[in-house]
Amino acid sequence: MSLVSSDARKPVRGLDVKRLLLTNEFGLLLLIVVFGTLFYSVSSGFLSSFNLNSMSRAAAINVMIGFSMMAVIATGGLSLAVGAIGVCSAMMCGWLLQEIALPWPLALVAAIATGALLGVINGMIEVKTRLHSFIVTLATMSLFFGIMIFLTQAQTYRGIPASFVSFGRMKVMGFSATLGPTLMVAAALIVLYNFTRVGKEMLAAGAKPQAAMLSGVRVGRMIVLAHALSGGLAAIAALLLVARNGAAIPSMAGQQGQDWLLVAFLGPVLGGAVLTGGKISVVGAFLGAVLVTVLSNGLLLMQIGDFWLQATLGAVLLLAVLLDLARRKFLERRAQ
Amino acid sequence: MSRLFVQSDWVTPMVVALSLGVLISLFNPAFLSTFNIQVLLEAVSINVLIALSQMVIIAIGQMNLSVGALGGLAAVIFAGLMEVFGIPPILAGAMALSVGLVGGLLNGLLIGLTGISAFVITLATLSIFKGLNLAITQAQPFYEIPDSVKLFGNSTLFGPFPVIFIPAALVVVLLVVFFNRLPVGRWLLAVGGNAHSAELSGISTTKTVVIAHAISGLLAACAGILLVARLQLGQPTIGDDWLLMSFAAPIIGGAILAGGHVSTVATVFGVLIVAQITQALVLFNIDPFVVQIVLGLMILTAVTANQWRELRMKHAGQE
Repeated sequence: MSLVSSDARKPVRGLDVKRLLLTNEFGLLLLIVVFGTLFYSVSSGFLSSFNLNSMSRAAAINVMIGFSMMAVIATGGLSLAVGAIGVCSAMMCGWLLQEIALPWPLALVAAIATGALLGVINGMIEVKTRLHSFIVTLATMSLFFGIMIFLTQAQTYRGIPASFVSFGRMKVMGFSATLGPTLMVAAALIVLYNFTRVGKEMLAAGAKPQAAMLSGVRVGRMIVLAHALSGGLAAIAALLLVARNGAAIPSMAGQQGQDWLLVAFLGPVLGGAVLTGGKISVVGAFLGAVLVTVLSNGLLLMQIGDFWLQATLGAVLLLAVLLDLARRKFLERRAQ
Repeated sequence: MSRLFVQSDWVTPMVVALSLGVLISLFNPAFLSTFNIQVLLEAVSINVLIALSQMVIIAIGQMNLSVGALGGLAAVIFAGLMEVFGIPPILAGAMALSVGLVGGLLNGLLIGLTGISAFVITLATLSIFKGLNLAITQAQPFYEIPDSVKLFGNSTLFGPFPVIFIPAALVVVLLVVFFNRLPVGRWLLAVGGNAHSAELSGISTTKTVVIAHAISGLLAACAGILLVARLQLGQPTIGDDWLLMSFAAPIIGGAILAGGHVSTVATVFGVLIVAQITQALVLFNIDPFVVQIVLGLMILTAVTANQWRELRMKHAGQE
């Protein structure tokens, strides 16, 4: 089928070691190991059980935030509203738990559904008006966040059941249990994009909308679906954050949820996603977010200061896109 | 008449801005008090610079996420130079402006030379500028602002006209001349309209992109400096909430996000509309968070209307 060709990353055969070493994912893995060793040699506290736990907890959340953005990047869009959607869903969860006293599994499902619904709103507006997702999500970011603050009066919900909070603090083999849901989602996304028709159609809609439409893909529906997926994933990320904090706080992602934006793009972009759509890597986005977490954690341990961290991460993003450009230019030249 | 409304950019925003003013003052006469007009004009003076900083980039069909971060960085550098090193305000202002210029040049060079999307580059530089801001200030405001600067930011001329209105008005006039009379201004619009055909007619896209971002950085820094003068302190949070505003006003002013079509005067009316609504919500004691909701709705309405208008103009052209 012609659709398959848009899925640019072909599976690497077991014997093809050279190709494996050239992949983006291997590069990321190498960087994680290099930086990990570097930080460990500077401060042995880096691999202490306490730090491993907190680092894996942060990674679990960062990876989910990255996945949330990756879902819209797949169709060639972007979403400024991931943070706002995440916070709205978390606040919905907090409200249901504290004010309605819903059992927590139900509240979680409702929160994820809220995230997906807000995503659908983004997708519908984008498809119906044919506006770029940037401007749509810029507007809905402030809409969603403003309505949430208005409804909750900016209060924090602390009535989170102990069983849910203890999950956020639980350890499995030294790592945070919150990595569990993240790994499951990663596996589900790998299946979605590589083995299901709908996943491939999403990528096709992002790679070449015209061609996809001609071969029978309903591009509009795929865009709505991608936004719904993104909203649901943003909700899961925010719920992991609630489990960690033990409360649903309106300011947990900064002003209008904008604090998530950098992390959201860092994971997928480091992982080799093409921003015009059609090409993403779930494993790459996962490793990209882990690398960001290792860097943040290590720099904090080296007491470089909270404030330099943001500048460093910005520089990392810049370096990543420049390196990617150089790599593509190099490959092009070699192909000629 | 309807042709006038459809084709000129500034008529509709002007009518909306004026009728909004009349409407609000009917409900609450305090809206027209000298003090209120002064507060309104102060907000407009600074927001015009923020909006124009983004509009210049919209003109070339790009976006600049780092407007707020760069404006904030220039603001704290302006305040910091005066407090820590005792540098005279004029010199500190010039240095802060050059920080804006350099930041803008950096954006422009990275985008122009590499061809990487402006979104990603300015997202990265946003974090760099904001990180530098926090590293310099350690998240603490600079309080020691010289009296002359405070006076500049808070005095008025001829009744309600704030002094900071003068630099803003000057920038507006310069930009109107820039886009309508100067070749380089036309380059920006040409590149935004169709980069390929602009290139074919001998315009350097890279050079144009760098120029646009340099102007954008300069305007953002200018807004930051004026805000320090008005607030009488160099807050590290300056610029955090500029993003929405910076897009809202140009879009309400009919700017087309794909590039090539912006109007400085209409953007000014866009700023006036936003400022009046913000003010009205305060006057009627409405939750300030509603401002965000209203701004979001206004952006959506305005972009949809712009798109409809663009289609009409295309149809009119075909007839």
